[in-house]
Amino acid sequence: MMAKISRRNFIKFSSAVAAAAALGIDELDAFLVNLKLQSGNEKDVEGRFPGYDVKYTYDSYCPSECGLEVWTKGGKVEKIYGNYADPYNHGKMCGKGPLGCGLVYSTGRILHPMMRVGKRGEGKFKRVSWDEALNHITKKIVEIKKKYGGGESIIVDTGDMTDTQPYYRMAYGAIGSPHPVEHGSICDTPRRFGPKNFINGKRWEPDVMRPVLVRQPDGSLKELDYDSDLPLPKYIMYLGWNPFTATRIHWESRGTVSAALKGCKVIVVDPGMCNTAAWAANNNGEWVPIRPGTDNHFLGAILRYILEKGYEDKDFIAKQTKGFDEFEKEFKSYWNKTDSNGFKYFSLEWAEEKTTISKDKIRELAELIGKTKPGAVVWGMNGIGHRYAGYIASMLGTAINVVTGNFEAPGGVIDCNQVRISKDGYAGHFNGREVTRTVNGSVIKGKQGDLHMDEMSDWPAGWYDVVGDHPRRILEGVEIKYGPFKGYKYPIKARIEIGGNTVISGSSTWKWQEALTATDPKTGEYLLELNVHIDSIYLENSLYADIVLPAANYMERYGIADIYPSCAVAVLRDQVVKPLGEAKTQVEIMNAVAKALYDNGDKDVDPKDFWLKYKHDDVFWTEAIEVTPGVKNVGEPLPYPKLPKGYKLLGTPDSLEAGRVKIDHDKKVVQGEPITVDWLRKNQGVAVWPMAWRRYEQAVQSKSGKIEFVWSKMEHENERIKGGARPYGFELLEKYTGTKWDKYPTTFFWFDPPYNPASPRYSEMAKKYPLQIISARVHQGMTATYANPQQAETPSDSIWWPLNKEFEAEVADWVTEKNSIGMPQGTMKVAKKRFAKGTHCVGVCAVNSKDAESYGVKTGDVITIENMLGKTQKSVVLVTDTVRPGVLKMPFGGGGRFSPGAGTTYLQKDYTANINQLVDPNLLTPIFGFPGYLDILGRIIAVERPGLATI
Amino acid sequence: MCGGASDLRDKWKEMNKEEQTILASKIGDNNMSKKYGFVIDLRKCTGCYGCQSSCKMENKVPMGVNRATVFIKDAGTFPENKRFFLPVLCNHCENPSCIKACPVPGATFKRADGTVLVDHDKCVGCGYCAAACPYGARFMNPATGKADKCTWCVHRLDAGLEEPACVRNCKGSARYFGDLNNPDSSVSRLIAESKDRIKVRKEEFGTKPQAFYIIDNRTKLDVE
Repeated sequence: MMAKISRRNFIKFSSAVAAAAALGIDELDAFLVNLKLQSGNEKDVEGRFPGYDVKYTYDSYCPSECGLEVWTKGGKVEKIYGNYADPYNHGKMCGKGPLGCGLVYSTGRILHPMMRVGKRGEGKFKRVSWDEALNHITKKIVEIKKKYGGGESIIVDTGDMTDTQPYYRMAYGAIGSPHPVEHGSICDTPRRFGPKNFINGKRWEPDVMRPVLVRQPDGSLKELDYDSDLPLPKYIMYLGWNPFTATRIHWESRGTVSAALKGCKVIVVDPGMCNTAAWAANNNGEWVPIRPGTDNHFLGAILRYILEKGYEDKDFIAKQTKGFDEFEKEFKSYWNKTDSNGFKYFSLEWAEEKTTISKDKIRELAELIGKTKPGAVVWGMNGIGHRYAGYIASMLGTAINVVTGNFEAPGGVIDCNQVRISKDGYAGHFNGREVTRTVNGSVIKGKQGDLHMDEMSDWPAGWYDVVGDHPRRILEGVEIKYGPFKGYKYPIKARIEIGGNTVISGSSTWKWQEALTATDPKTGEYLLELNVHIDSIYLENSLYADIVLPAANYMERYGIADIYPSCAVAVLRDQVVKPLGEAKTQVEIMNAVAKALYDNGDKDVDPKDFWLKYKHDDVFWTEAIEVTPGVKNVGEPLPYPKLPKGYKLLGTPDSLEAGRVKIDHDKKVVQGEPITVDWLRKNQGVAVWPMAWRRYEQAVQSKSGKIEFVWSKMEHENERIKGGARPYGFELLEKYTGTKWDKYPTTFFWFDPPYNPASPRYSEMAKKYPLQIISARVHQGMTATYANPQQAETPSDSIWWPLNKEFEAEVADWVTEKNSIGMPQGTMKVAKKRFAKGTHCVGVCAVNSKDAESYGVKTGDVITIENMLGKTQKSVVLVTDTVRPGVLKMPFGGGGRFSPGAGTTYLQKDYTANINQLVDPNLLTPIFGFPGYLDILGRIIAVERPGLATI
Repeated sequence: MCGGASDLRDKWKEMNKEEQTILASKIGDNNMSKKYGFVIDLRKCTGCYGCQSSCKMENKVPMGVNRATVFIKDAGTFPENKRFFLPVLCNHCENPSCIKACPVPGATFKRADGTVLVDHDKCVGCGYCAAACPYGARFMNPATGKADKCTWCVHRLDAGLEEPACVRNCKGSARYFGDLNNPDSSVSRLIAESKDRIKVRKEEFGTKPQAFYIIDNRTKLDVE
């Protein structure tokens, strides 16, 4: 078989033959062995390894979305490496990415449309054609729209996907639903509270992403790495954030390590010794094992200490912020208040009592943060973001980074949301369509968006949408409380979920199951008349669906990465292999649903907005990146000194660099050659624009243009609710914390965390339920991951741990053919496999050794945990000192998996816990309505001894 | 193995690229110019198991067995406790006990560049080599029935990619591979710079491992 050789490689090949023929044997030896070709070059791979092709795309096995170099052979994925062209992961992978074949070829793949034949939850389906499935779905949608008013009765939930734009277009434009939601609607909204209010931002991370392109004094653009003189943080404090394992921000791993090697002290504040904490403790940093849910107290004490000592950066505060005096005044108003234990709020003693961290340690860390520059305080998605009182930690963390002058400083903190690329395709303009509804007998005109189930109803400031409250809405319906349709009521009658698994992870699991199966007592029919699940893996959500549609896997579809680098980077998701079975891409599904609606008489659909326009995925995604990068030419050093400062940049990096641009001085826009899918494809899938610092005009997008300590966003919300209904979240706040709100806080505020021993309100409850039950995300995280048994070979963080049990399961696995010398040969095949003891991880409950002694629990026992509401879960135990006493720690979504599509995890459902079964479904945060996933008190009520887990 | 220079030249002309690659691998036996070594900087290991996963993907290693993995060791009691990660792979020893234990000549062998390999065409699957390895680096592959182990991704080396898959993907950039005979290679420089921090596993066995570790704050390397 002759190799597939490109013209360029043919020349190289011919030259090699000629050279070889002219050489002596010794020289020939050396020549052959030293055949040096550049790594990571597509043509070279083809030349070296005949039959292999290379494609560049990005991952979606976890939300980090790392750039990938994928080698295929015979139309199948064979090898997965990091893409060096993408600075996000800079050619690297973690323990997940390389195992992607196990997910692509998982036994859990949905390969064709299915229609339910049993009851919801039973998982009984028959195979149907796409036409039958689409006809069923769209007929029902048309019927619901006619019967109940319109598309507002239909929810489109794009689940864990990030390249969601086609589904948003489908929801807004074809279905007429004003409220499509995304992963960000059910993930860590409290974490974003501070950035959102201070700068209209979202995600603050340490400035440790290297390499970056930096403009040099001589005008050239240079790629600078960790070996350069670019400053790195001198300290990083991670609270409830474990970047080494919960790999949302891939570069944070290499960046943290590289900064530490240059003297950065890394402090990890976490109830558990996660991987990042373990590493820090071994590398001149430390683990601070805080009591769960008291990060607010900890950060409050640090901020008070900094202000009392006068360590704040007064110049930065004066120049870049607004309203600091009011914030400080409100904060200081607490300093002389005394809590029920006699401690002054935010004093070191008070914080010590709440957090159990010694006041000396808190003082030492406050000194470090107050006196050292540059540095970063970073709080996490799970530990902070999944807590009821996470708002406060987010606010305080934001304030500390600002008062220390670290925001946008070299080696400081960057809001990676604010400086990344813009992309479009969400089609929000459809929400401006005029609609009419009859409200209390009057015909009212308004916009489609005025019917939003959260923003115009119980969650007026629920900016990210409120998926955690969807079960209640399915059961009780929606009443519009603001805007033109005030007083209008409608039910939720249909739900389309794509790539998500809310039945396991969308707040309290049992509440979801209750909502999806609730029936009308008169008719016996399901209240939710249509439930559709579109996914690549058959998960628990599918079990409750009426129709299941097969979606293309991440190696089979297209998109633009939703990543968080510290500067503008665009990455293309390209189709690496053809979709398995009858799976379709997002654009294909969008078009198919729109056309089926049209064919069934839905007049809202215009063919020119869908299938007539987007004849291929490339057309859609090229249009989506017309607004890329969309960042301003600002900062130090100025990215493009030859282009007008402060103007918005559009177009490819090369055209901007070469000055092939049109400048619109009225709109202050520099338009280079528009970036396209084809351009990305020709450039290893990646476009990178220059990095700069102190980009305040870009990064700070508040109303005032300053970093706001008095929040104009909240002032705006207070205007909206003035004289109207009291937001639902305020009632919940009063119920759970005793704190009363009549309006949204506009500057510093405080309330005690619910279900927490540190709150006097819960001290009695904590006597009966003395254990705090927390979850954490590990790199096996995200619910689809469990469909890949290969991922069960990588233990993590004491909560994903080998099972001391032998078992058999039918799985997809590599069958080695020959792999000793030469290219390894093997095939991924589905077969029954025997798993030996200690080789396969499951979600376990980590219990501190002192607690284990108290409760008489040993590693391998199965405990029954009861929460404060009387709900129970069983979990196998790992006794370990990597979790602090008084805490039971388990993986988020890691156990109790009851869909056969969840791979080997399904087989262990009886002794692994779904911690979300223990979440209080009504504990929704007062502003964003986010579930208090980590606010659970519990106790151990039974111990069994099967001896399942091993160390 | 190879005939005269003219034979080789004639063969080379007739060979396709894949055959040339295999020949390059064989000629590696006679290549005295390089001696490969591996360095793991434990200060940069994040315990992510990317090495294990990359190896499985690259070498088509089934579940239940590993060519590369990570050991986790806990020490001490709360709150003074520590957790250590130790990534392990075949040490490609200078004095390998596995080769001595193998009863079939050439079934397991060491190339001049230091790479210790198994020839599946000769291996009879007796398992003596696996038993003789003090590091547990060898195992019997359940699919092939042959001895299996890390090859330093020899197929990549022989194609000019001097970067095993685990090094290629290591997210902490904790893994280095290169020519110990070249003082300018990353591995040579790291070993020279790190001096007292350089350790090898189970030195007492006298096998002279060629996988070197730069230790972090730990005092002891092995965790078994």
